[in-house]
Amino acid sequence: MLETRNLSKSFGPIHVTRDVSIRLERGERRVILGPNGAGKTTLFNLLAGVLQADSGQVLLAGKDITALPVARRARRGISRSYQKNTLFDGLSVRENLGLAAAVQAGQARRLFHDSLSHPKVRETVEEVAHLARLEQVLDARVNEVSYGIRRQLEVGVALATRPQVLLMDEPTSGVGPEMAAGFHDLLSGLPRDLTLLIIEHDMDLAFEVADKITVLNYGEVVFEGLPEAARGSDLLKEIYLGSWENA
Amino acid sequence: MFRHTTFRYLVLAILGAGALFQAFSAGYFGLEVLIEILILAILVLALDMVAGFGGMVSLCHGALMGLGAYAYAMLSSIVGLPPLAALVGAMAIVGALAWIIGAICARSHGIYFIMATLAFGQMAYSYIFQTPIFGGDDGMGGITRPDLSAIGIDLNDSRSFALFCLAGLVLAYLAAVAVLRSGLGRSLCGIHHSEERMRALGLTVWRVKADIFGLSGLITGFAGALAAMHVMYISPGLLDWTVSGEALVVVILGGLGTLVGPLVGAVAFVILKHELSAVTPYWHLVVGVVLIVVVLSRANGIFGWLEARIGARRIFPTHAAVKKVPNDA
Amino acid sequence: MNADVGFWILQSLNALQLSMLLFLLSIGLTVIFGLMHFVNLAHGSLYAVGAYVAAAIATGWGYWAGFFLAPVAVAATGIVLYLGLIRKMRRSGPMAQVLVTFGLIFVLLDLTRILWGDLPLAIETPALLQGRINILGIDYPAYRLFVIVLGLAIFAALAFILGRTQVGAMIRAGVDNDAMAACLGINVERLFFTVFCIGCALAGLAGAVAAPLLSVAPDMGLQILIPTLIVIVIGGLGSLKGAIAGSLIYGIVQTFGAVIAPQMASVLIYALLAAVLVIRPMGLFPTKG
Repeated sequence: MLETRNLSKSFGPIHVTRDVSIRLERGERRVILGPNGAGKTTLFNLLAGVLQADSGQVLLAGKDITALPVARRARRGISRSYQKNTLFDGLSVRENLGLAAAVQAGQARRLFHDSLSHPKVRETVEEVAHLARLEQVLDARVNEVSYGIRRQLEVGVALATRPQVLLMDEPTSGVGPEMAAGFHDLLSGLPRDLTLLIIEHDMDLAFEVADKITVLNYGEVVFEGLPEAARGSDLLKEIYLGSWENA
Repeated sequence: MFRHTTFRYLVLAILGAGALFQAFSAGYFGLEVLIEILILAILVLALDMVAGFGGMVSLCHGALMGLGAYAYAMLSSIVGLPPLAALVGAMAIVGALAWIIGAICARSHGIYFIMATLAFGQMAYSYIFQTPIFGGDDGMGGITRPDLSAIGIDLNDSRSFALFCLAGLVLAYLAAVAVLRSGLGRSLCGIHHSEERMRALGLTVWRVKADIFGLSGLITGFAGALAAMHVMYISPGLLDWTVSGEALVVVILGGLGTLVGPLVGAVAFVILKHELSAVTPYWHLVVGVVLIVVVLSRANGIFGWLEARIGARRIFPTHAAVKKVPNDA
Repeated sequence: MNADVGFWILQSLNALQLSMLLFLLSIGLTVIFGLMHFVNLAHGSLYAVGAYVAAAIATGWGYWAGFFLAPVAVAATGIVLYLGLIRKMRRSGPMAQVLVTFGLIFVLLDLTRILWGDLPLAIETPALLQGRINILGIDYPAYRLFVIVLGLAIFAALAFILGRTQVGAMIRAGVDNDAMAACLGINVERLFFTVFCIGCALAGLAGAVAAPLLSVAPDMGLQILIPTLIVIVIGGLGSLKGAIAGSLIYGIVQTFGAVIAPQMASVLIYALLAAVLVIRPMGLFPTKG
């Protein structure tokens, strides 16, 4: 579904992404692990089109999208949620989801018609609210809801574009352990044909949800395999868990 | 995202009643002042759409309005279109030009956006100034007002023309509200909040910005045509960048991003100007000081300040009424 | 043929003279922006104040007294503005800065009208620089030549200070990253203050220099503001190289445009600005940070 071929990016002399080739099947849940500065978020930016790769390709459903800008990649089905919330504060939860759904439904530039009342947009909002467990708070303002709910909404907004591939940058960042467990249920409840690429710091969650694990270190893929294999890997312990425990 | 509140309706009602009262009771000079306020109000409405709701601080709206005046004059006097057709034509021309400017400037932000729009405004000014067909420095006279005698209205009468402008303002206001509450308006708010996020959601950001700028230009062109009809004479001074600066001042004095505030600002600005210039030739000094004080006070203009005060009084009941939101996932 | 060559030399000198005047103004504005991220629309008004002060002093004590005192007087005005207003505005967005300094334009405009009246003042070129000098085979007014030499001298001095001295290194560090500069132990606040004063002094100097060339009128600050802004936006806000490049581009386009295509001369420069902003949104010599 999503594939990179020898993707490389450097800022000046620093190689932040080096020869990264990964391949995600449709519906696969892949977790990316790696210490801080391993180039995880840079990889996301390369996938989403915020950064242009120096060399290599990004393919979505077999089509080369390397040259496409952010918005066109998003319309092809790549969506992302951010490590820091990027919500629209003054608006309600419903309006936040609606804003995203409207783009996908082609209602974002409609004149003299409110995009939110369009049936397609409403349908998406209801559906995403269910998936991201936001039904209870749909009409609350974003600045009135708890941090955990905002993290869910962050994922919800990304889902509202009805993506084929969802990139999630630390969805549980900053939430407590019991909330993280809730996120596991949330992730399990997502449609099976949605391809997920997740950056996650919470090891338990990572091993639970992942079909496969990729470990990045200094911008390079140093491990790729099943979670069970990752658990037992000495290499992983050395580069990742070592720095994880030190952090 | 624009919302009407009880307070906003109240202020609109007061403004409307005041305008109607003035239109029916004032003498010639009072009507002239009223017309000036109404035309400025349409301009600042258009400017608030882009600056207040989209963060696109334009320093070319004065020039766009001037272009509207020239387009109306050219279409009616030289091309010979009937005035109402010339009015529509002028709006279309300015709307199209504004769309192009918006599309080109969409990539610029902050001070660069301000400078880029200033450049386009000045380009229009120089072009009009230097092209003989537009009358150069001398400008053009002999501009006619639409003939509505078929429905028994003589627009050459100041009172009728004032009411015509008032109707125009109401239409412009309704159009601005409709645009801001549409899908396009919602997307604009999203962009104002985070352009990056909207792009990641798949929105073609520059198209939204250009569309809004074009629509704002349409309204600005309308104001320009009305200005040409009002004084029946136009000169390049209409396009001067200080007109854009003053329009921005009015938006700020009234309250950025409130739509109602700039209307209040227009009333305050024109009255202040006339009252002060009757007393002192140095009225710019006072306007300058008022502007500095308003910006330094960090209130969002006169209207924004009032709205915040009223909001502060209500804050206790609304806070208590906020439902405890479930915390679980 | 010979007359023809002379004509182009004359135009080139005129272009250079206009460029140098704009350079004196834009360098202050651009370094203030680069360092403090502050947009001072009233910079042109300070130039007008400089011209008025120079004209007023010149009538009593002669041109050179005005030439040296105008920068001091404008720097003093700058200090008042900095302490009273601009320091408070540093953290505000560009919109608030544009508006406050726009208000300041109104205030300074009317203050000069109150002090010196609405009529333009004329000021004599100094005795030393009257007459014409033969250069490259043409007679050129000595005073205009003086403006060119002065501009080049100041450019050389600033290039030396910014490139080779400790203060210059501090300013460059501040332009790149003021938080980092503060970490390195540079007193950023004092640096800002000094640079702001020097920028104002240069604007005052530009006013004093321009006074004999143009008539000294209340709106001269407004007249010069737009060309100055064009210069720094074309060049890239905050860049010394950009200020000199932008000044030269403006001077050349404006002067030769008026000769070659008088119809399009002033549209040309705005079209150029628009083109620069589209192709290189941060100007020709963008600064980091």
